[in-house]
Amino acid sequence: MAENPFDPVTLSKIASMELRARLIVDGVLSGIHKSPYKGSSIEFLEHKEYSPGNEIKHIDWKVLAKTDRYYVRQFEEETNLKCFVFLDTSGSMGYKSTGVSKFEYAATLAASLSYLLLKQSDLVGLVSFSDRVLQYIPPRSRLAHFHAILNALTESKTMGKSNAGVILSEFIEKIGRRSLIIIISDFFDDTKKIIHQLKYFQFKKNEIILFQILDPYELTFPFETITFFESMEDDRRILADPKSIKNRYLSEINHFLEKFKQSCFENQIDYWLINSSIPLDQALIKFLERRESALRSIRKS
Amino acid sequence: MLSFLNPILLLGILGASIPIIIHLINKKKAVAHKFAAIDFILETNKRIYVKFKLRQLILLILRTSLLIFLAIALARPLIKNLGSGTAEKNIPTSNVVIIDDSYSMQYADRHESFFISAKAAAKRIVDTFTKDDDAVIIGCSGIASQVLPELDYDKKHILNSIELLQPGFTTTHIATALDTAVEVLTTAKSPVKRIFLLTDLTRNGWDPSWFKIGHEKLRRHVSKVHIIDISEGKTLKNIAITRVEPRLDILERDAEGQIKVTISNFSPGRVKDVLVQVLLDGKRVTQGFFNIDAHASESKEFFFTVEKGKDHVGWVEIAGDNLNADNKRYFTMNTLHKLDTLLIDGDPKTNIYESETFYLEKALNPGREHASSIKPLICSIQEVNNIAFADFNIVFLCNVETLPSEKIRELEKFVKEGGSVIFSLGNKVDAAYYNNALSALLPHRLHTTRTFSSDSPLSEEQPLHLKTSEPIHPVIRVLSETQMNTLSSVKFYRMFYIDPTPLGNCKTVLSFSDDTPAIIERQIERGKVVLFTSSIDREWTDLPVKPFFLPLMQQLCRYVSGSTTEEVHKEILVNHGWQFPCPYDMNAIEITNPEGTQTIVQPRFIDNERSFEYNETTIPGIYAVTAGGKSHPQLPQKFPVNVDATESNLDKIDQKEISAFMGGTNLTITTSHTGEGADVLLGEAKKTLWGSLLFLTLCILLVESFVSRK
Repeated sequence: MAENPFDPVTLSKIASMELRARLIVDGVLSGIHKSPYKGSSIEFLEHKEYSPGNEIKHIDWKVLAKTDRYYVRQFEEETNLKCFVFLDTSGSMGYKSTGVSKFEYAATLAASLSYLLLKQSDLVGLVSFSDRVLQYIPPRSRLAHFHAILNALTESKTMGKSNAGVILSEFIEKIGRRSLIIIISDFFDDTKKIIHQLKYFQFKKNEIILFQILDPYELTFPFETITFFESMEDDRRILADPKSIKNRYLSEINHFLEKFKQSCFENQIDYWLINSSIPLDQALIKFLERRESALRSIRKS
Repeated sequence: MLSFLNPILLLGILGASIPIIIHLINKKKAVAHKFAAIDFILETNKRIYVKFKLRQLILLILRTSLLIFLAIALARPLIKNLGSGTAEKNIPTSNVVIIDDSYSMQYADRHESFFISAKAAAKRIVDTFTKDDDAVIIGCSGIASQVLPELDYDKKHILNSIELLQPGFTTTHIATALDTAVEVLTTAKSPVKRIFLLTDLTRNGWDPSWFKIGHEKLRRHVSKVHIIDISEGKTLKNIAITRVEPRLDILERDAEGQIKVTISNFSPGRVKDVLVQVLLDGKRVTQGFFNIDAHASESKEFFFTVEKGKDHVGWVEIAGDNLNADNKRYFTMNTLHKLDTLLIDGDPKTNIYESETFYLEKALNPGREHASSIKPLICSIQEVNNIAFADFNIVFLCNVETLPSEKIRELEKFVKEGGSVIFSLGNKVDAAYYNNALSALLPHRLHTTRTFSSDSPLSEEQPLHLKTSEPIHPVIRVLSETQMNTLSSVKFYRMFYIDPTPLGNCKTVLSFSDDTPAIIERQIERGKVVLFTSSIDREWTDLPVKPFFLPLMQQLCRYVSGSTTEEVHKEILVNHGWQFPCPYDMNAIEITNPEGTQTIVQPRFIDNERSFEYNETTIPGIYAVTAGGKSHPQLPQKFPVNVDATESNLDKIDQKEISAFMGGTNLTITTSHTGEGADVLLGEAKKTLWGSLLFLTLCILLVESFVSRK
């Protein structure tokens, strides 16, 4: 059986983040739908020879009549969307049971989304953080900007504690109005504080999307033997019998996730829980479809 | 006082450290796993950790105690009774260990027979002896040994003699064994003299008559008698073949075998569909089923065809039960010997019923022609000249007046070469002629006749009857008791007196009631001559119409012809001697037992008769008899030896009865359980603890499995 190229394990074999992101985005976009984040005013830029896949409506019929050759008109797209991708690089993001770590998954997701947005000439910026900002790449719209984002992603290492609330508070002033804020994290953090900070962004008409990436082991807790569980962000370790605590653990984490989801819903924050074992293209397609239908309904209303 | 039967197994307590070690290793071996959602585990574990630790601790305690209790239980702890046995400690003792080796000890309802258990128990007892204690091992087979067993201080020798002891096929003889034991201990010098009797406590073998005097011997010479019931006090079940009575009817072409089989059920319940099979020469010839009530017997007759002209061996068998020794019973059948008999009728009549030989011929060959192994041919005196005596085995001269002189010489030669002549007298017989012409053959000279005319009880001349003479002649010995009882009912109205001085080597077969000989046998070189001093027809006696006449005549023919080999041999019981008259010119025979061991037997005089005697019938089966490696026509080729069925009855004797038998003797009766120590066997332990400990261990195991699953 052929491997699914979007399977996290398969993707992890592709060293280049750019390739990963392109593969995912191209795969996702091929014949599915248009980007839900499209620029509004268009100015003619140049002619380009037609190649299959170009939109027929852009064929310049006059040039065809004169030269008997197909040319399409290319436009300089004027965007009005500015996107900030916040990527959690705290120690807990480095956890992986099988396949890829949460961070690898999150980074690929960040790259894919950046590529998707840059392809539509939107402005994309990146913030990687733990309990402090580790890297900040201001938003740009050039496709070449993608490489800067990729470099930042590949250089990132998971370490330290996560403190998204503080980080977000630092960016309240920097991020203007009507921006898209994407936060990719496991949110093993003070979620109350995060929600509290996000409310400020909402106040400034920014749109917020949260991707909570969790490992399958964190969701199912399939351990059998007595284990020393060690923290990935500090020196804490604890001996536990997984069999005896499993039910209670699952109850705790589900309660946490449900509560966080409920908070997001109440504050009209777009929340996505992603299991890092699910192929990324599937997660992305699902996200884009839901996103498109949501925007369509907003436009109609 | 607490003690242990297998103290070495207490080392198993060290095994209790295993769970602790495993616990520590597991703790060390706990896998370290970096985990992102550790906050949730911490949150959860805060509540569960205490429970987890407590559960671990409980499991550790349970597992450790499980191993400790198991080790203690296997070491077989017991609380000793301080009141008994200890008095004999450090005092030299003389011991006779009697191991019941009768065949009932081969009973096996578990993995080993009682006999093996008894040997093991005896070894444990011997192990308790010190270097100052002497002992001897004896069996219960009932064979009184010529040499008294000697006490031995060497424990190795004693243990070795236990090892060498083999289970026998005899009945139990407790009295004989106790008698021997007392005799051994009488000569012992130790102050304490003990008898250990390891038996299944079945009733037979306990001869109450011995104890009438024996208990006094025991009380006087023996310090203590320990009886150990190897059967663990159980009620024993057994089904046995207690009797087989084969019969053979020789017909014209073949022979019809008949066997009456008696099966006894010595169990407390009724048994159904017990399959009984009759095998002849290794092939099953017939079979049947028996349903027998508890403690009852049932008999059935089986019929089958037997090939003529050979010796047959067979056995009856039932399916195996706990005691196999009595599930098979052997028999033999002989269709080989044919006796050609010439009956010279000295007083033939036109009415054949009045002929001299009429009743004799019917007795020798009853029913139909040639149905018996004896083939009679009747001839008159006139026809004698045309007949050669050498063609016959036996010649009967029945009331013959005279014989041509050449025929008399032929007759003498016939006898010397192994033939047999039987004279019966009558009114034609002239004593003077007989004394002159036939003196070389007659056992005694003839005198006058005497007549007993009145049959009235008041008459002084009442008819004579028959009686056996001492010693009982082999011809009579093989007859049944019923047949013997009819001797006194036979009436003789006339008979010949004979000269008291025998003319040769003579023996009286039967006498008249006035002690004068009625039938006399004389050995002449290889042959025999028999003189019947009355008539063989009804003229002088009513013997021919008595039931006794037929077996007497047939047996007489077989005897004189030298082939006393009956068609069906009487069975011999294990350890009972086999005897057989020695043919004229024989000096030794070989007897091969069922295991193939051959014994040379030489003749010796028993009751003034040269006979072979063989006493090594120690195992049941078919024994083969040969002379110079070949079968001999005057010897049985085979004879069966079977176990004595009285031992099959496994009814137990009550301990109170034993106590009553041994009144005044210091007696202990204990019940053995497999693997018990000597002190338990000897009643020196009051309470064993391992049962309770094993139960406790089981309980701990259940709790452990419950806790570990939770």
